[in-house]
Amino acid sequence: MNWNLKKFFTFRKATIFLLTVVFFFVSSAMGISAQKNFARTYPASKNVRLQLTNRTGTVTVEGWDKEEISISAFMEAPAANIEPRSLSGTIDINLVKDNQGRNEVGNVNFLIKVPFSSSVDIETRMGNLNVSNVRGGLVRAHISSEGDITLTNINADNVAAENVIGDIFFDGTIASSGNYRFTSTRGNINLRIPFNSSFRLIATAPSTRNISLGDFANSGMRFGDGRRVVGQNGDGSATISVTNQRGSISFIRR
Amino acid sequence: MNCEQCQELISVYLDNELESQVSSDIQTHLAVCESCAKVCEDFAMILDFCNLDETDYSLPPNSKALWCRINNLIETEIAAETPQENREEKVKRNWQFSFSQVFASILGIALASSLLTIVGIKNFSAPGDVSVNASPSVFERVLGKIGIIETPQQTRENRIKEQQAAIDYWNKRVEAKRRNWNNYLREAFDRNLNEIDQVVFEYNRILQENPQDDLSGEMLDSALNEKMELLREFAEL
Repeated sequence: MNWNLKKFFTFRKATIFLLTVVFFFVSSAMGISAQKNFARTYPASKNVRLQLTNRTGTVTVEGWDKEEISISAFMEAPAANIEPRSLSGTIDINLVKDNQGRNEVGNVNFLIKVPFSSSVDIETRMGNLNVSNVRGGLVRAHISSEGDITLTNINADNVAAENVIGDIFFDGTIASSGNYRFTSTRGNINLRIPFNSSFRLIATAPSTRNISLGDFANSGMRFGDGRRVVGQNGDGSATISVTNQRGSISFIRR
Repeated sequence: MNCEQCQELISVYLDNELESQVSSDIQTHLAVCESCAKVCEDFAMILDFCNLDETDYSLPPNSKALWCRINNLIETEIAAETPQENREEKVKRNWQFSFSQVFASILGIALASSLLTIVGIKNFSAPGDVSVNASPSVFERVLGKIGIIETPQQTRENRIKEQQAAIDYWNKRVEAKRRNWNNYLREAFDRNLNEIDQVVFEYNRILQENPQDDLSGEMLDSALNEKMELLREFAEL
């Protein structure tokens, strides 16, 4: 009887072990088939322009000290088609066009490295956008629906960030006669800029009336009824326009 | 003979019009005086050139044709001047207005230019204008009420109609496409559309209470644009 019980437990242990091994291999195999990678490198001039339109997923763009663009994409199943085009100084990736007519396309998460002085124009239908260490002529980040936009260490003449639901964070310099536009429907917009920046400001937060200028509050700023702040810092050579329909706007000294 | 006397007589000497004695004196002086010899040489060259046949170099190849062309040109110009003078006279006569006509014209021009300026400012002022709550002047309101210019409310209503038409179009496109989206995308789209709709509702309510609130009008315009953009971009999927 004892021997039979021993045999039964040994058999049960072996079965559990075998099932575990099988489960591990199956899940690994499924994982491999669910995630596909894409990697490509393009030689690029210093002032190359990156134009990316993603469907869903996170996009991260980083500036680096090389004259080439490195694109890495991690695709969830069903994997998207990616066909980057290199046309006269512009690297164009358009996942909306490349996958038009496909019912199901998984998230695509990009990690792209560009020369420091590149112009970056990225958009996605949904997902986060991160851009850092870029000092080209343009940085534009557009999310059609929801996702956070984080722009760090940016030194560009023209910056635009737009989303519907999500936070926007900008950390960078304000170039004289530059143009900076930040628009959200619901989320927090935080701008971290040097104190000696010179700009004209139109900041509008009509619903919350939560506009905090921090150290930039001066006698040249008119608060009106609190829904909009109009004013100037320094000689006002650049233009900053911030609109947040149902969220807050904050300025932080860099 | 000195140089001065010689140079005075050189021209006559070259024409062979001097007495033989004087002519001989000049020849002697020219032989010993280099400067007077040079002057005599120059005079002689000029005389030689003037004695050449003039027709060889002064007339163009077809001088008669040239004169004909010049004549025609002069006649044409004379003919053109005469009707222009008549026209100027007519214009002068036409521009002789009475005082009342001049006064009425000035008044008309002033009124027209004021209206054009107002309409221009209204039409071309950007939505992101720095001015806050720039309400219309009394004059503009009066003009708006008598229907000469659009009131800001009418302009806003027309703009909303246009935006709504575009929204309806893109909405139909989205409705056709959204059944192919996965649940995750559909839910996110609905959530964001709902967020914008709430904003639109909010500003519509404010504007019903206070139609003069330009900032709310501007925000409504912006929200409707965002809605249009959201629909258009998702219709591409």
